[in-house]
Amino acid sequence: MAIDRYSYPFTAIVGQEEMKLALVLNAINPSIGGVLIRGEKGTGKSTAVRALAKLLPDQQVVEGCHFGCHPEDPEDWCLDCRERARAGALPVTTRRMRVVELPINASEDRVVGTIDLEAALKEGSRRFEPGVLAEANRNILYVDEVNLLDDHIVDVLLDAAAMGINTVEREGVSVSHPSRFILVGTMNPEEGELRPQLLDRFGLCVDVEGIRDLDQRVAIVEKRAVWEDDPNLFYQQHAESEQSVRSQIAEAIATFPEVELPRSILRLIAQISIALEVDGHRSDLVCARAAQAKAAYDSAEHVAVNHVGEVAEMVFAHRVHSVPFGKGGPNLGEVIARMIGQS
Amino acid sequence: MSVTLDRHSFPFTAIVGQESMKLALILNAIVPTIGGVLIRGEKGTGKSTAVRGLARLLPEHAVVEGCHFGCDPFHLEALCADCRLRLKSAGVLPSHQRRMRVVELPINSSEDRVVGTIDIEAALRSGTKRFEPGVLAEANRNILYVDEVNLLDDHIVDVLLDAAAMGVNVVEREGVSFAHPSRFILVGTMNPEEGELRPQLLDRFGLCVDVEGIRDPDERVLIAERDAAFKRGEHEFVNEFAAADTNLARALAEAIAAVKGVRVSPGHARLISAICVEAGVLGHRADVVTDHASRALAAYRRHASPSRDDIYDAATLALAHRARQPIRRDEDETSSPDHGEEQEGSKPAESEPGDPQGSESESSTEASAEANASATDSGEQSAGSDQGMTTGGSSGTESSPDALETFNLRRIDLPRQRRVRKQGGKRSASQTADRRGRYVRAEPRAKVNDLAIDATVRAAAPRQKDRGRLAGERLKLEREDLRQKVRERKVGNLIVFVVDASASMDAEQRMAATKGAILSLLQDAYVRRDRVAVVIFKNRTAEVVLRPTSSVSLARRRLEKLSVGGTTPLTHGLMAGYKVVKTELLRDPTIRPLLVLISDGRGNISMFKEEPLVEAQKVAALIDSENIDALVIDSARDYSHLPSVQHLARVAPMYQTYAINACADLAERMGARYYGLYDLSRDEIASAVERELGRSGR
Repeated sequence: MAIDRYSYPFTAIVGQEEMKLALVLNAINPSIGGVLIRGEKGTGKSTAVRALAKLLPDQQVVEGCHFGCHPEDPEDWCLDCRERARAGALPVTTRRMRVVELPINASEDRVVGTIDLEAALKEGSRRFEPGVLAEANRNILYVDEVNLLDDHIVDVLLDAAAMGINTVEREGVSVSHPSRFILVGTMNPEEGELRPQLLDRFGLCVDVEGIRDLDQRVAIVEKRAVWEDDPNLFYQQHAESEQSVRSQIAEAIATFPEVELPRSILRLIAQISIALEVDGHRSDLVCARAAQAKAAYDSAEHVAVNHVGEVAEMVFAHRVHSVPFGKGGPNLGEVIARMIGQS
Repeated sequence: MSVTLDRHSFPFTAIVGQESMKLALILNAIVPTIGGVLIRGEKGTGKSTAVRGLARLLPEHAVVEGCHFGCDPFHLEALCADCRLRLKSAGVLPSHQRRMRVVELPINSSEDRVVGTIDIEAALRSGTKRFEPGVLAEANRNILYVDEVNLLDDHIVDVLLDAAAMGVNVVEREGVSFAHPSRFILVGTMNPEEGELRPQLLDRFGLCVDVEGIRDPDERVLIAERDAAFKRGEHEFVNEFAAADTNLARALAEAIAAVKGVRVSPGHARLISAICVEAGVLGHRADVVTDHASRALAAYRRHASPSRDDIYDAATLALAHRARQPIRRDEDETSSPDHGEEQEGSKPAESEPGDPQGSESESSTEASAEANASATDSGEQSAGSDQGMTTGGSSGTESSPDALETFNLRRIDLPRQRRVRKQGGKRSASQTADRRGRYVRAEPRAKVNDLAIDATVRAAAPRQKDRGRLAGERLKLEREDLRQKVRERKVGNLIVFVVDASASMDAEQRMAATKGAILSLLQDAYVRRDRVAVVIFKNRTAEVVLRPTSSVSLARRRLEKLSVGGTTPLTHGLMAGYKVVKTELLRDPTIRPLLVLISDGRGNISMFKEEPLVEAQKVAALIDSENIDALVIDSARDYSHLPSVQHLARVAPMYQTYAINACADLAERMGARYYGLYDLSRDEIASAVERELGRSGR
């Protein structure tokens, strides 16, 4: 495996267990809808997201497809694949799920795709040149400092995230293509808030803080030093733990659809949502999926109360209405603990 | 031509609850002239899911073969120019049945793709100016769906409104001149948290429903279970709801066939008008829409003619966004004829004979009518489809004859408990020159530095032949072809608070009120794109305690630990505030700053070795000369008019500041509005700022 400056091993990250769990759960079941990581600078947010890339599962894709279509999922095929399939069987290749980055200064045409400049000027034909949303299909779309993204880019992201399709009707091109991605964003809340609509699109949300424990802080510095000294050696030291998490994730991907979701659990989740007065129903669906993924990760056969307990804060953290003046309103941790205690 | 991928969409009938929303969509499918529906509501309530689910239930209709606009072969007046020509030459138009579709309008659409434009390839090949249809062509006779319609760019909204009003899309651009039919059902969803809709656009939507999350745990569990079953593709689930969807589609087809024969009785027509008048609607669209919707509803419920419940249910949907008074639904009231002023002017109708069909459906209780409808269509979902609508009136016990109760408008508030929504902010879009922002259209410019390739190629295409381009050659571009991208970006306000933290009797209160006002203004920052900065002055200096930010949490933290005390370096404060404004303007010249001074205006520390009062006046004049908007909120009582104070000032110059209203004076020099808010409160400050920014107070 090639070692680059980004491949700090996931399992070598000290602490930040919630963040790591949220990332892993999304890798297991992408329909959880991504994760927003809020926190101060220098808490390993970006490191963790990039490290996750190494643990992601392999997936089958149609060879030569811009959008990485799944060969066995004809309903999700792009128009190209549909046409090619009519001519004969589609060539298949395997690739690893990737982390595709969306830089915050990205222009709209690069995000949604645009008219192919060369073809336009040479032949006057309008060919579509795919953008980041095409590349992100079936991958992780990672936005660092997502709260600094321009409004009109956020609108586009929301649209695509909601539909799983990127529809382009601009600059003379008219195209739709599949764009289902796991949205992973990081932000420092001091730089400004996120629009509520976008906030709600993130399945999970974790708040990270600098670690206050002295031993752990020392461990972080030490590991980093070894890493910088000899990345290859460091990686080898962690190869075993990386491999084991990777196979655990792969295992969970295979088993999670079979993990049973008892009605009592769904009821508990609904009650938490109601008690916390969240908008809409997305929280229920996300919580059920996350608890199911967690159960699969723990090799459990059915979702239990403790699985809900372990994911509930991530599901609700960003969906509880903030109370502007002083305290009051539901306290997240307390409500969750109480509801779980009751069941 | 864009092709929408057919995605395995969640079945319409598997959507739990949200009966009004589903009903509104169904009614539009039955009678497209209702004019669409706007679905307003919080996040994650299945708005988009329902619209996409509807697509599969839509009826088939006949379209002319090969027509870009899907013309109706039997509706000769509405044919497009192409079809007219074909009809004239061939005498007959070939046609086939096609399902009505949901055509999506992405919110970042550019104008050329919405209205259509010149066909580049045809222009290149033969130098002909041919029209290439856009989204409005595709939407003809279909549903035009705009997700987050409140975020649509203004100029696209204009185009939509035009087409919606005329049923025709007229294109005059890039050398093409073309008109084609564009009658569509406009379906939009929006989250009011993100800002309101323009009133003209709002009125274009025939119906409107507000959706909220379901609070019942059992229903929520059902939602989660169905979602899981759908995700897993369980056979039971698929079979059950495929059947339910099929049944509903059949019921729709039957209703469409039946609705032509459904007429509103004259008495009920008056009822419709009476409801609209009472609701205080503007214009007559509401009456027409209610009429259409009640007929659709009657056909769907298999009534021969709309019953009063049909009418009230239809009116509820049609007036939700138009009524200025709550709609009252009359109830089972036997003592009706001689009571209430609201019956005046409607007397003649009382003697009108109720039409037989009407009274027949009337006299059957609502419950049986419901049972009727539900027996014929998709089972449990549509059985509930009326409950959401009628819970306000217990009309099940109606006993009075039809004609008598028609005008008995008793006041009962609708069950709809609309949450008070914050007004959407004044989000001004400003055109930007720095290549940031959304590319909204293109125009020729003397100096092009942000090339709009598509528009440039379109401009060049028709001239290629004249310029002698041969097939396969590069495009021949001339300077006159170049088009510049016009970009727009939403800009917010920058509000810079300059707050006096010196010790005085009201210092604590002033600080508390200011903090409250800042946090309150920031609550809406995400809608309004506002940022706030805070400068505090006390002792001998001023300090920027909060750099421009839209973060509530940051502001709260920074403002938490502010203390008051010491002297009043007013000049320092004003200078610091002025600098913040200047710096931000350098960074982004499109912002609109507002400087808010909260002080008693009595500076007593010199910054430039001048009399403090004079210094402050000079800085005020500087702020005025730079055209920076400002607002002065006086935190002290005005004693200047008291004779004793006037006397004191004459004898002791150090008290001079008390003899004039220092704040009012500063405000005048700053060109600022002055507020004397002696009992400062959070809300007063916030609403003063709101007013200054040209928004209605909250």
